[in-house]
Amino acid sequence: MKSFRLVAILVAMIGWAVLPVAAHHSFSAEYDSKKPLKLKGKVTEMKWANPHAWIYIEVVGKSGKIEKWAWETGGANALYRRGWRKEDLVAGTVLVIDGFQARNGSNTANATSITFEDGKRLFAGSSSQNPATK
Amino acid sequence: MPAGKGVVQGGPIPYQPWAAAKKIENAKNRLTTDPLATCYMPGVPRIMYMEFPFQIFQTPDHIAMTFEWSQIHRTIYTNGAPAPEGIDFWMGDSRGRWEGDTLVVDVKNHNDRTWFDMAGNFHSEALHLVERYTMRDANTIAYEVTIEDPKVFTKPWAISMTLHRQVDADRIFEYQCQAEAEEASGAFERDLKTWYPGPSVAVQTPAEWKDVQTAWKAPAPQGELKRMADGKPDLQGYFMPDGGGANYGLGKHEVDFLTPGGRGVIVDPPDGTLPMQAWAKVEAENRKTPERGYDDPTAHCFVAGVPRSMYVPSPLQIVQPPGYVVVLHERMSWRAIPLDGRPHLPDHLRLWQGDSIGRWEGDTLVVDTTNLNGKAWLNEVGEIVSHAERVVERFTPIDADTIHYEATVSDPLVYTRPWTIAFALNRQKDELLEVACHEDNQDLQHLKEIRDEARAKTRSQS
Repeated sequence: MKSFRLVAILVAMIGWAVLPVAAHHSFSAEYDSKKPLKLKGKVTEMKWANPHAWIYIEVVGKSGKIEKWAWETGGANALYRRGWRKEDLVAGTVLVIDGFQARNGSNTANATSITFEDGKRLFAGSSSQNPATK
Repeated sequence: MPAGKGVVQGGPIPYQPWAAAKKIENAKNRLTTDPLATCYMPGVPRIMYMEFPFQIFQTPDHIAMTFEWSQIHRTIYTNGAPAPEGIDFWMGDSRGRWEGDTLVVDVKNHNDRTWFDMAGNFHSEALHLVERYTMRDANTIAYEVTIEDPKVFTKPWAISMTLHRQVDADRIFEYQCQAEAEEASGAFERDLKTWYPGPSVAVQTPAEWKDVQTAWKAPAPQGELKRMADGKPDLQGYFMPDGGGANYGLGKHEVDFLTPGGRGVIVDPPDGTLPMQAWAKVEAENRKTPERGYDDPTAHCFVAGVPRSMYVPSPLQIVQPPGYVVVLHERMSWRAIPLDGRPHLPDHLRLWQGDSIGRWEGDTLVVDTTNLNGKAWLNEVGEIVSHAERVVERFTPIDADTIHYEATVSDPLVYTRPWTIAFALNRQKDELLEVACHEDNQDLQHLKEIRDEARAKTRSQS
């Protein structure tokens, strides 16, 4: 049932580029434009929170070791209004996420695009969208 | 902890055995694990009996409560609309109905992170409250709550107390829990350039700035407007500001890395730029550096101030009970704007959201805000206002779904002349949700590390 719901939402979301983001702080201050990043990994948890939700994934690092990464997205309220529910992104889902790493060098990054393995878009919550041209 | 006879009806709280043990553990660790010790939202019913006042605004469709504690608000819907599903809130979801002269409120959709009190009494997310409010006389409300939570208690139980009207109060103020805590600890530092009182206490506003008339003219209303019983326009409902990226720069600007672009909302001066004094231009540039990202009060989840509250990309609700216009922001802050012609607060009283007084000029609601504390930034890129700021806002309904909003800011410490921004507030169907911010704020620590590293570098170079 859950996966059916996810498919339904995905269909509904085709045509949406990115979520409008209610940022509460400067992404440009926190994240580094010189550290673009593309990672593929398995979802361990989605933290359903405001002002920003977080997707945690496990990635196989260069040395073969498992690395945990935290990706910041738009807030839970924006996701809710788009039809998402807490339980929709199940653990184990493989995602490919693009974005920028935090300036402090931690395994934290801001998501600009999130897709499934087959390239279908999940959603993205970057602030780089221009609200004036939404 | 102060002593008390207790408000629980008929015997001890009927905890399940595991929960009784957890309650004792909570009490032992309360100085750190009480959600209020870290300024988390108290939830319902605790917010109703904390030592901070609140104000009730009643309309036929809903009853809004604004709390002094951290600018929290709750809305009790009495219009029959159903509770949302699949989402929980620190303050729960409240749906009310009248049974004779008693307001009966179902409160559901709680999270499991709030307590009932400092003694560590707690609940799970399965909590269901039924509140009963009955006027005992003109100035007291009998307040009773039935508490049901099958995950934590063996049976429902109830509390009962009296809520007393503050007969000599004509407004409530602000107690910003987290801001107070961070200012006390030094985590949020005083900015001498803008905070009240600052180095120059007596700020003279040039005479020609008073009642400034901008060259710019607002669009005219189209067709008949919905009106209140007193003939004034009905502004009520849920609105999303079409702020055009103002939260990332008031002037026209392009996307810059992760900072969104904006179409520019400055309508006066006509060139669309902020008329900053020389020092302010230098300061604004400085605030754009990554190490200053930490200094933006909204990064700390403090309230956004005026006019920024009106264009942070987050919905707001307008409630219009007799004598007031109340603005509730989804990002947990509010402004209760009295329309009774009262004077502003004494100058030394300074607030994050200021002191807003409203009046009608024809079909336009004019709101005059003073007594701001100068702590707010105008946006994420650090555009500046100080404690000398005065804001005159104009809310003009254009049609059933649009309010034209403009704000003229006069700040003689920062600018060479007053300036005006304008944009639309667009009606939306959705009720407000709740943005808990400080409670789950993971970004601040990163921003602090960036700041601390920059400071350490500066120190080692000098």
